[in-house]
Amino acid sequence: MPDQPISVERFALLVERAGLKLTPEQFEELRQAYRHVERMQRSVRRARDRAAEPAHIFVQPRA
Amino acid sequence: MDPTQLTIAAASRAIADGSLSPVALTEAYLERIAALDRELHSYVLVLREEALRAAQAPARGVLHGIPIGLKDIYKTRGIRTTAGSRRYQDHVPEEDVETWVRLRQAGAILLGKNETHEFAIGGPDFTLPFAPARNPWNTAHYPAGSSSGSAVAVAAGLCAAAMGSDTGGSIRGPAAYCGIVGLKPTYGRVSRRGVFPLSYTLDHCGPLTRTVEDCAIMMQALAGYDPQDPASADVPVPDYRAALSARLDGARIGVIRHFHERDAVADFGADNAPNAAYTAAFDAACRMLESLGARLVDLQLSPLIDYADANRLIMLAEAYALHEKDFQERPQDFGHHMFARIGLGAFLSAADYVEAVRQRRELCLEFARALDGVDVAVAANATGPAPRIDSLPVFGTFERASYTGPFNLTGSPALSVPIGFEDGLPLAFQIVGKPFEEAGVMRTGYAFEQATDFHRQRPAIAAPLPGR
Repeated sequence: MPDQPISVERFALLVERAGLKLTPEQFEELRQAYRHVERMQRSVRRARDRAAEPAHIFVQPRA
Repeated sequence: MDPTQLTIAAASRAIADGSLSPVALTEAYLERIAALDRELHSYVLVLREEALRAAQAPARGVLHGIPIGLKDIYKTRGIRTTAGSRRYQDHVPEEDVETWVRLRQAGAILLGKNETHEFAIGGPDFTLPFAPARNPWNTAHYPAGSSSGSAVAVAAGLCAAAMGSDTGGSIRGPAAYCGIVGLKPTYGRVSRRGVFPLSYTLDHCGPLTRTVEDCAIMMQALAGYDPQDPASADVPVPDYRAALSARLDGARIGVIRHFHERDAVADFGADNAPNAAYTAAFDAACRMLESLGARLVDLQLSPLIDYADANRLIMLAEAYALHEKDFQERPQDFGHHMFARIGLGAFLSAADYVEAVRQRRELCLEFARALDGVDVAVAANATGPAPRIDSLPVFGTFERASYTGPFNLTGSPALSVPIGFEDGLPLAFQIVGKPFEEAGVMRTGYAFEQATDFHRQRPAIAAPLPGR
């Protein structure tokens, strides 16, 4: 787990892209917690065979 | 005798032989709710008149006259359903959740709606209009969530059974901390239609009960195909109660030890180490299964974090997508915990989600292969007793090792059963099965239960009221 939280500037970009309007307290709380997102991203992003499909694939719905 | 002390099985026998009436049983539960729930906060709505009226109905099915509760994310026609949120504080649905339709057809009586974490994820949150439920074993402690009120009501004797939902452990966690039985059925086994969704591909509906036999009775009414739930599976429903047995001769049980013995500390840090009392209780429970005739084999899977993080990432992405518009336009409607936890979902990418779902397939395959050589597996549940309710970090959901989330990811049936106590608070493990093999899971739990007395121990607050 990285020691440093995401920078204020970089996190502000993520917040803007998400269309969220955060209070200063919410901004700082989510910025500090963003390390959990980074850990999960590292955990699932790994080398895989290109043919490895997702767990759910498109199924024709019944009428 | 106070009829609220009876299990569903015993109360049903008493109703059948005429020694107990559904009205008397319902009145007894309502009396307990009035006397005790100011301290426990397990109900957000009590349906006194409706319940007493329903108790006069003629016999219908296996749950005739049995009073139950529904987590307040289960929609009920004409009855307020809040999802524990300000957003739906006055919401009155026009339709019933499918599971309640089935329970009602089987004769169950609805006592009320049980407290829930906001949208089944944000809690315990003291900033919301609904006070968080308290652990009946010690009200300074957390009952776990998000099906908090359901578990508390069952454990404290404020209903005979209740319904919960489970996306990462929200049935099995509360069952563990409250010392009762909780089943997350196979994905597709029990309809989710009419339950406020948290995460479409991880949400499961299931019962919380005092015993495994009661769980089997509830499942008989609940299980089965629902053509209007896109995830529902058209798989025959066996006779769950008939499958229960006090012995496990010839059964092969896999033990997933490395999740709690190694991975929790390696992946989530030293404060995730199971305490000594838990490890001893888990090992004793395994020895008990052996003494009942089962053969145990250790199972080796990928590290716990691979399962836990894929589960959490999928949950976050799906939950945020559901609530995105409200996060952008009316953030003030959310409680602090819900906004902070699900708000993290705003920062995931589509590729993150797809990678998590690809990982899910790999892990589902791995788990299916691991279960190939055994009948069921056992794994830790929460590896210590319930913490104090005022000591919980907002992001604990992401910081702690989750032993329940892996089986939401795999969609496997998983049953929480009490295995001991520490400092007067319950401990539990999970019994996990192959898809649609709830019968084998409950058979194992029932045999364990018959050989132990943990399920017979009740919190002091569950004792009969004075004069009863």
